[in-house]
This record gives sequence, C-alpha cells and structure tokens, in this order.
Amino acid sequence: MAVAELSQQGIIARKPRSLLSDSVNRLKKNKLAMVSMMFLLLMVLAAFPFASLFTSGDFAKQDLMANSALPQWVESTAIGRVVFSIIMPNNYENYVRYSDQFPLGADDLGRDLWTRTIYGARISLSIAVVASTVSLIIGTIYGLISGYIGGTVDNVMMRVVDFLYGFPFIVVVILLQTYFKALAKHGAEGSIGQVMVNLNNAMGGMFFLFIAIGLINWLGMARIARGQALSIRKKEYVDAAKAVGAVDTRIIFRHILPNILGPLIVMETLQIPGYIFLEAFLSFIGLGVNPPTPSWGIMISEAAPAVRSYPNQLLPPALALTFTTLAFNFLGDGLRDAFDPKMKE
Amino acid sequence: MFSKKTLLFVAIFAMLALIAAQCGAAPTPETITVVETVIVEKEGETVTVVETVEVEKIVEKEVEVVKTVEVEVPAAAPMDERVTLDWNFSTEPPTLDPSQASDTTSVDIINNLFVGLTQFDPVSGEVIPALASDWSVSDDGLEWTFNLRQDIPWVHYDPSTGETSQAIDDEGNPRFVNANDVVYGARRTVNPDTASDYAYVTYIIKNALELNTGEDADGNPTELTLEDLGVEAVDDWTVKFTLENPAGYFPAIAGMWVVKPMPEWAIDKWNVKWTEAGLIDTSGPYMLGEWIHGGSLQMLKNPLWVNADDVQIEVINGLMIVEASTAFALYENNELDTVEVPSTEIDRVKADPVLSADFYSAPDVCTYYYGFVQTKPPMDDVRVRRAFSAAIDRQSLIDNVTKGGQYPASTFAPPGIFGAPEPGTLGQGYDADLAKASLQEFLDEKGMTIDEFNAEYGITLGHNTSEGHAKIAAAIQQMWNDTLGTDVQVENQEWKVYLKSINADSPVEDTYHIYRLGWCADYPDENNWVHEVFNSQVGSNRLRRNCADPNCDDTTGPDAFDDLTTAAGQEQDPAKRIELYAQAEDMLAGEMAAYAPIYHYTIVRVTKPYLTRNYPPLGGQDFYNWKVDQDAKKAAQGM
Repeated sequence: MAVAELSQQGIIARKPRSLLSDSVNRLKKNKLAMVSMMFLLLMVLAAFPFASLFTSGDFAKQDLMANSALPQWVESTAIGRVVFSIIMPNNYENYVRYSDQFPLGADDLGRDLWTRTIYGARISLSIAVVASTVSLIIGTIYGLISGYIGGTVDNVMMRVVDFLYGFPFIVVVILLQTYFKALAKHGAEGSIGQVMVNLNNAMGGMFFLFIAIGLINWLGMARIARGQALSIRKKEYVDAAKAVGAVDTRIIFRHILPNILGPLIVMETLQIPGYIFLEAFLSFIGLGVNPPTPSWGIMISEAAPAVRSYPNQLLPPALALTFTTLAFNFLGDGLRDAFDPKMKE
Repeated sequence: MFSKKTLLFVAIFAMLALIAAQCGAAPTPETITVVETVIVEKEGETVTVVETVEVEKIVEKEVEVVKTVEVEVPAAAPMDERVTLDWNFSTEPPTLDPSQASDTTSVDIINNLFVGLTQFDPVSGEVIPALASDWSVSDDGLEWTFNLRQDIPWVHYDPSTGETSQAIDDEGNPRFVNANDVVYGARRTVNPDTASDYAYVTYIIKNALELNTGEDADGNPTELTLEDLGVEAVDDWTVKFTLENPAGYFPAIAGMWVVKPMPEWAIDKWNVKWTEAGLIDTSGPYMLGEWIHGGSLQMLKNPLWVNADDVQIEVINGLMIVEASTAFALYENNELDTVEVPSTEIDRVKADPVLSADFYSAPDVCTYYYGFVQTKPPMDDVRVRRAFSAAIDRQSLIDNVTKGGQYPASTFAPPGIFGAPEPGTLGQGYDADLAKASLQEFLDEKGMTIDEFNAEYGITLGHNTSEGHAKIAAAIQQMWNDTLGTDVQVENQEWKVYLKSINADSPVEDTYHIYRLGWCADYPDENNWVHEVFNSQVGSNRLRRNCADPNCDDTTGPDAFDDLTTAAGQEQDPAKRIELYAQAEDMLAGEMAAYAPIYHYTIVRVTKPYLTRNYPPLGGQDFYNWKVDQDAKKAAQGM
C-alpha cells in the first residue's frame, strides 16, 4: 500500500498526540458526558451572570394574594391541562387559583418558583465548586506529604485520617453547623471571627456551610493522593530528579503533583453530587442557608408539607436537583473513562 | 412473765402507734373492725377471703404479704378489641405534673388524668361540680367552702403487667381523693421549690403571692410557712379557700390543673419521676398507659372512675407528630381519627366532597401574638415596637397564609372572654403609614439608615418548630421587609428548648428580639389574659417589661398598666371592670406596643364520621365525653 494512501487514511502521517488531547477526544465521543457538560454550563450561566435576565430577579418577593397559584398556561393550554391532570390530585380544578405572573407557579407564600429554582442553583453549584476545591486542596497536600515522605510520618498521618474516619460524618457536619449558627447568632470573639460571621451573613449563610462540608470531605481525597504519590515516587524520573539535586518541594509539586492531579479531579467530580445532596439535606433540616435565601433543599422542605394538595410545587426544585446530580455523575464517569490510559484505542 | 405472743402484740401496737402518730388522724387500732372483701395475692395464686377481721389480724397479714389489699377491678378486653381513639398530641408533652404544666398539650392530658374540684360544662362552659359536689361562699366573698365527693379513688396502672389497682394508704385502706390531697396540691404549686410557671394563677389565694415569691409586700424575706396559705382541710371531705380579694371567677380557678389534688405519697416516693408511666397515681377518667418519650403516649380508661359507664373510649393512642402535614396524611389514611388541617390543605379540604363533610371550623378562645423582648435593643424603644406591630397586615395573613377564617387581633383577649374588647376597636392593628413613620422617627433620632439599623441590631424572630409557624414567620418577615425595609432573621427551636429560651430568666443574649406565642383561656375572664400573662409583677413577664437589668432578675416595680390590671381584678362592679380592662388592653397593645397581637384562633379540624366529639367552649380535649363507633372505624380501616 502506498504511503500516500495510508496517509490519506490518517494512519501514518498523523501528528503525535499528547495524553491530554487523547483524553479530550475520548471525552468528546462520550455523548452523555458532553450533554451533561453542556447542561451544567447552561446552568452556571443561568444561575450566575444571567439569572436576573429571564427571572423576576427577586426570589424573596411575596404576592400573598397569589399563594400556591398555578401558572396561567395550565388553564389556557390543552397540554397544560393534560400534564397537570397527571401531576395534581383529582379535583384540583375546584380549589386552585391561577396567575400569569409566574412561569412555573408560586409557592404557598406567593413567591415565584421559577425564580427561586434558578437562584437556588447558585447555592448548589457554589457548594459543588467550593466544597470540592476545599477538599481537593487539603486532601491533596496532606496525601502528597504523607505518601512522599513515607515511613513513620506516613504512618502517623494516615492513622490520623483513620481516626477522623471513625466519626459519623453527618453528625459532625450537623455539630459544626450548629456551632457556626450559634457563632453567627451571638457574635464571634476577635476580628477573624467577626469577619467570618459578617461574610456568612452577607452570603446568606453559605460561608459556614462551605467550611463545614469542606472540612469533612478531604479524608478520602488524602488517601487517594497518598496512594498515587507512593507509586510515583518510585518512578525513574523522580530518581533522576533527585540525582540532579532537586529539592523535595520541587519534586512534589513539579514532578508528582501534575501526574496525580488528573485522577484526583476525576474522583472529586464524582463526589460532587454527594455535596449537593448534603447541602440539600442540611437546608432541609434547617441547618443550611438562612431563609429566605432559596436553596433546592429548603424549597423541597417547604414544598413537601403541601405535596398532597400542590405536588406541582415540589417538582421544580426536585427535578433541578435530580438533573444536576445526574449530570455531575455522567460527567464524572466520562472523565474517568477518558483519563484512564487503559481505555486507549 | 410475758408470753411470746403478748410480746408480739406489744410490738405490733407500738408500730401502729408510730404509724398513727405519723398520720396524725389515724384511729386507734382496737376500735377498728373491718368488714371487707379482700383479694389476697400469694405468689401468683388468688384467694378471695370474705371475713370480718380485727385490725390485729390485718396487721399479721401485712407482715406475710408484700402487696395486699386490692379492690376488685373489672377485667379489660384485649387491647385490639377495645374502643380506641387515635389522636395526635403534636409534640412530646413537656410535663404531666399538674404543678408544672403551662402548655395546652400537657394540660389536655392532665385534665383527663386528674380530677379537679370543678370543671367546665362541655356545652355551656359554665362551672359545674367535679370532685366538689357543691360549694358556697361567705358573705364577704372571701371564704369559699367546697364539699367533696367521697367516692373518687386514686388509681395506679402498671403498663408492664396491664394491672389496674386502687392506691392504698399505709394502713392498707384504699385511697380516695380527699381534702388533704387538694390542700397538698395547692401548697405544692405555691411552694417556690416546685418552681411552677403557673403559680401566679393561685395568687388570688391568701398569702400565695408572698409564699411563692418568698418576699413580703416590703421586699423582706417572708416569715410565712406553707401552712399560712389560704387553703385548709376542714375535715377529710371539706376544703376551704380564703382569698386575698373577692373573685367571682374563683370556682373556675379551683378547677384548674395547678390546684388539682395530687398524690403526696407518690411524689414523695418518686420525686421528679413521679409522672412516669407505672409510677404515677391518677384520679381522673383516664390512666396513663405506656409513654414512649418523643414517640407516643397511651391513655386507658379508668375502670374505677365514678362515671366509668359514661366513658366510652377505652384506649387513646396519642402520637407526637410535629408536622401537621404528616398527621394529615395519616388522617387521610384512616390512622388518626381527627387532626388539625394544615393551612396548605384547607383549600383542597373545602373542595373535596368527603373531606369537606369532615371539616369543622369555629372560633377558639386563643390568641396568636408576637412578643417584643424589651430589654433587648432596639425593642426597648416603643417606636420600633409600634413599627413592627403596625406593619403586620393581619387580614392578608389570615386570607392567604393561615386560611382558617381567623379574626385579626389588635388586642389580646378574644371575644367570649369577660372583659374582652370588641376586636379591632382598641390597641394596635395594621397601619403601614404609622409603621413607616414610627420607625423613621427612631432612625432620624439615632441618625441611622435602615441598613445601619439592620447591621447594628441583627433582629431575630423566634418560633417553635412547626410548618405553620414557619410559614407565618416567613410571611411577616417579608411584610416587615416590604413596609419597613428591615432584615429580620427567623429561627426556630423545638418546643421544650424554645420555652426555656424565651423565659424571662434566660440570659438576654440567648433569647430572641421577637418571640411567637399563643395564649388560650384557662377560665373565661380577662384576669386570665392581660393580668396573668403580661402583668410584670405576677405574670411570667416574658416581655421583660420594667426590668431592672437586661436579664430581668428583678423588676423596678409596677407601672401604670400593672396597676390597671391589678385594680381591675379587685373591682367588684362588672361595668367598671370591663372599662378598666379596656384601658389596660388599649394601653399595652397600643400606647406601649409591648407585643403585637396577630389573630384570634379558630379551630380548623377534620374529624372522621365515626368519631363523635364536642368542642368545649373553653377549648381543651375532654376525651371522656367522646364516642367512637368502633365497628365503623374498623370498616373504614378495612379490618
């Protein structure tokens, strides 16, 4: 076969590909992961820069007269009637009211469900990013040091992790949040405490939530980072770097860290749905963000009591939560597959 | 020379003499001859002995047997065949101790477990006899003499064996509720060591105020003892109360839980644990069955109750489900017989053909209000309080949030209470312009913007955990924000913890700026409202009015309002009393804006058709008057 022919088929004359571009290509071929990524991207855009563009912009505004209203299109369109006859109790037309102010209807205080769901995404997505970053940073550094130094230091550091693992996770988060809430109520001692309390109030109670969740979740990350560091520090290029006199910090951050970061990020992505659920759970039991700041967890806990009369109020936050966690799961799966060298064609 | 037998008798006589000395009024042993059917239990076997026994013989028997004399108790049917009421208490009752109770859940249970001197007629609401068969008052209106029934037994129920027995005294005689139990109960409530939150109800009784506070009128330590309290057992079946001032409503107070007869022997024996299932001795139509704290509380019909034939419901299974929506779901599933309708479900219930037939709504003698803690800035300033009170649109709240047809309140006592003003005429109602102007005046004086105000004070609103309260709080939080621009944080606590946080003796930094509470009538007189709740000298003073320091350890003495309610309580002319109470109501809610009255409650319930119940005019749940059609209930449950 002629060389030209082979070249045309792209077998010989292709450019050399890096590991990264290989991975990106594999990721691009994973449709589910790509759709998820697009969805999350849209979600971020909708929740942060453009939230006020296509919502009413005021998630706390109450129109008490329109409490529990269904959107007007339910009454006026055939598809609306069909869909809501499935969702709602049998005789719902006898007791509901309609309002054209709200695209998805209003909650029991006459607040726009659409606006609240979109603004609620801010909380969930912020948790996703901040909590995972906090846990990634703490866990990676801790694991790297432990794995690279090894010996007694490794032993002690890992026993500490084992020890912390022994605490029931949810209970510790609840205790931390209770403490932080009390701190916010009574005011903290010292200037750092005061700054933290003010920051927390300005963020509607989110700041302490970040800390509580981040502080707890680095343990798993530390174990993985340590395992990766253990295997890589025996590699020849690390020996070579040592031979030419590189200091430990340089070896850790220039040679080992870049090589283990990929798997760690993938791991962290898979943990994100857990964080989002944790936030929803904490808000559900009243230890999350402060009302009236919307979060999906709070919205679900507010809509749940009305579920027998107005199941429609539960759907927007519940569906948003479901799709977001699903998207993070698919994306994490896709990333894991893409970065796995054994998946190479 | 003494025989051994003689020695034994001497010893027994000595013992009896000791017991007699302790009991005071016990008759001498030689004269008593007991003719009685006794069932003597000996290690499982039951022997019925019918005989005439001399007292020496009984003593000999007591030596042999551990637990001796028992009154014959009608056998009860198996639990699942008994007529059962499935009820939701909504919360763990904070206490079952009549001296300690201050909330409706506890009181509802206590009123079914313990008999009182008097009770309210379930239909007319008039005071009718209960333990007291009749009573009379002296010409000066100060001395009330109650003649007691002699046939109401103290009973003991053991949930582990399912056995009911009548309580017996040290001599083996069955105990009946007598005058000494009444005196003991009243003294116990007044005793400062009991720390009763509701002791101030008894302050109408002579010396009760001085004994309870431990200080005489001049603030010196009291020299009185509990024997000086104006309550006295004339004989076993007659009790006499002496009052500070004439009070026509006293028979109603005499029936209240704080002065119910209490079992001294059980309280002495078990201390604070005496109200636990299996330890408690009760005297009412129901007995305490199994009590799983935080989960469920069971009450069983008392087979020894005097009117046991009229009590139809044999078992009350009480749950403690806080979420009204969960309870409502259980109702729809036939697992509860009657529940309150959560506001989110009211529209559907009214539209539903089945549920609307179960629906019942009527005015209730309760008021929902927000209190302002007046030692916590900025609530120490009347203009801020007035702004917060006037900015609440009560009618909109009722129409769109609570939805139960409640009545907007501008004063405290609801219609139906003697001395209550016509709703909406006095006090402070919704007035957005006044609210804005009032807060602006405060801000201008302090030179603050509203943002600085929010940052400076960080105002908190507290409520006990409940969907309904949370919803009302969210709506009012937003009303304040819309009208005043304030940024109020809403917080909630579980009921028992909440009551502690808002008590006048909790540290001021632990309490909220604004707290939610409701108040329900104990007896139909204004004295029970503005005086007993808000008078800073006698009431619980949760508003912390006239406090000498922020933690309110002491007050600076009565103010004009306190003097008004005190004077109204002592006034004999009904027309003048009404006038004085109207002034007091108007002053507290209006001029002082000490609290924000929000609405007068309505009962909003659904009840299964197989349950026949009544709604007493003064509220409460008198289970002993209810009827359940057990067959229809089983059919509905598909059993």
